[in-house]
Amino acid sequence: MVGKVRSLKKRYRIAVAWAQDINTLGAVYKSANEGFIEPVMIGRGSEIRKICKSSGIDEKHFNIIDSDNEQNASEEAVRLVKTGQADIVMKGLVGTDKFLKAVMDKEHGLMIPDAVLSYVGALQIPAYHKLLFITDPAVIPFPDLGQKTAMAGYAIDMAGRFGVQKPKVALIGASEKMSRHFSNSIDYAAMCKMAERGQINNCTMDGPLDLFLACDPTSIRIKGVKTPIDGDADILLFPSLEACNPFYKGLMLFANAELAGLIRGTIKPVVLMSRSESEKSKYYCIVLACLMA
Amino acid sequence: MVLRNMGDLKNIVAGKPTKKLVLAAAQDQHSLSAVLRAWQDNIIEPVLIGDREGIQIISDENGYNISGLRIIHEPDTDMAVEMAVKMLNNKQADILMKGKVGTSTLLKCVLNKEWGLRTGNLLSHIALFEVETYHKLIAVTDVAMNIAPNLKDKIAIVNNSVSLLLRLGYEMPKVAVLGAVEMVNENMEATLHAALLSKMNQRDQIKHCIIDGPLAFDNAISLESAQLKGIRSEVAGDTDLLLMPDIEVGNVLYKSLVFFAKAKVASIILGAMVPIVLTSRSDSEQAKYDSILLSAAACK
Repeated sequence: MVGKVRSLKKRYRIAVAWAQDINTLGAVYKSANEGFIEPVMIGRGSEIRKICKSSGIDEKHFNIIDSDNEQNASEEAVRLVKTGQADIVMKGLVGTDKFLKAVMDKEHGLMIPDAVLSYVGALQIPAYHKLLFITDPAVIPFPDLGQKTAMAGYAIDMAGRFGVQKPKVALIGASEKMSRHFSNSIDYAAMCKMAERGQINNCTMDGPLDLFLACDPTSIRIKGVKTPIDGDADILLFPSLEACNPFYKGLMLFANAELAGLIRGTIKPVVLMSRSESEKSKYYCIVLACLMA
Repeated sequence: MVLRNMGDLKNIVAGKPTKKLVLAAAQDQHSLSAVLRAWQDNIIEPVLIGDREGIQIISDENGYNISGLRIIHEPDTDMAVEMAVKMLNNKQADILMKGKVGTSTLLKCVLNKEWGLRTGNLLSHIALFEVETYHKLIAVTDVAMNIAPNLKDKIAIVNNSVSLLLRLGYEMPKVAVLGAVEMVNENMEATLHAALLSKMNQRDQIKHCIIDGPLAFDNAISLESAQLKGIRSEVAGDTDLLLMPDIEVGNVLYKSLVFFAKAKVASIILGAMVPIVLTSRSDSEQAKYDSILLSAAACK
């Protein structure tokens, strides 16, 4: 991924909202150093400079814009992108809800009209043989059928940018059996039929599937379930935010996984990461945003 | 194995011992005529339960020969039905047919918890059509019994119907779940049900058949129509069973086929311990006869 972005030889202007955060600063600095971004850091100038000094970061790399509150910083960052003065907006230390409020503003925000706002992530897991794309761990709490369909579309698109032509999309549940008790299995059945009828394109889709059937070929053999996913999923679509979020966090905590993710449904890339995430993760997100820009 | 016309049902019947059909409240010209004709053709062996005098009068008026027929005298309608149902419960007969009694009265007895014909399954109606312009018999369900079946009901209706088709010798009947369109539409419940039933079938939760849907009527019965729309389906153009979204469209299709396509039709009720023939005065002679024929073929 990094190699691909470097080879693009473009510099993307990134506006960071509420930037006085060491991991964010570190990640932005690293990306700036590698030549693919031009950072604009919006936040408490004095604090930004203080962090730079103590981390050995040369503040001259940053265009610092002073702002004294989170909401203003978010709105300013969004405004820069909307007016074409920046290409990517990134969340710094500000809370997700304040940041998204600015992104989703009807007049001044970055939403594509009528588009579903959703987050797709690319997970690098040492124990899995390829990148695993997941959705939605951050934005939509309980997606309905229309939202799930949009989520699948975004994930298929992102996988495509990474060179995966016809990704295998596993619709994750607790079991592969249909149950009218779980509205998710109804949505999943609808989506599978939509894929069959060409309403969802460029993928192989099946579900509901549990995680083992989605990612473990041995489980397929043991259970004897016939699925075109065959334990080789590229994309995992989860029934809820609360299912997807602990999934990736668990992998990061216990399995050395790295996540790079992006908001979709916006006119320009929006980088959204948890404030507790590492500099390395944030760096990957920036790289991903550049790839998708 | 493909059933092309009603005559093919006769071959199935001929291959089994003759089934006993009980006509409850038999003093009824409409049902009696069909029963006697079926008897003459060795399709079934009748047992008439009803008012002996009434039966005699009808026979005399119409020139029916009822000598040698087993007649159990019971002038009271409710008692006659009860007697018929108990007989079937005791496995002394194989088919129940409605005579001069209301459908609800008959079904009430069928559903009696003590001595009725319950199996725990939902009762459903199936109509088997012979249409000149279709290459084989085609079944339609549920056009007369379940008004607005929910998903659970539809699963039961499919299972009832598939069991019947298997007993008629079909190996892997093709089931089309009908909708107004072949695409899934969040606002059209029939299309969501169709997707769900398809998936359950793929997961082997509904067995012994191939289910596809949603399919619009033309896609279900015409391969060319399906291909024109770019639909890839194992069922399209070769449907054995059409699952209707509700009773209104089912009933309209049934009557359209009969009046406009001059189709032959045989109907029975499934889901009880025995097949049930419920004919009405508006059914043609042929339809009544074919329904009896189907009920005999449906017996184990």
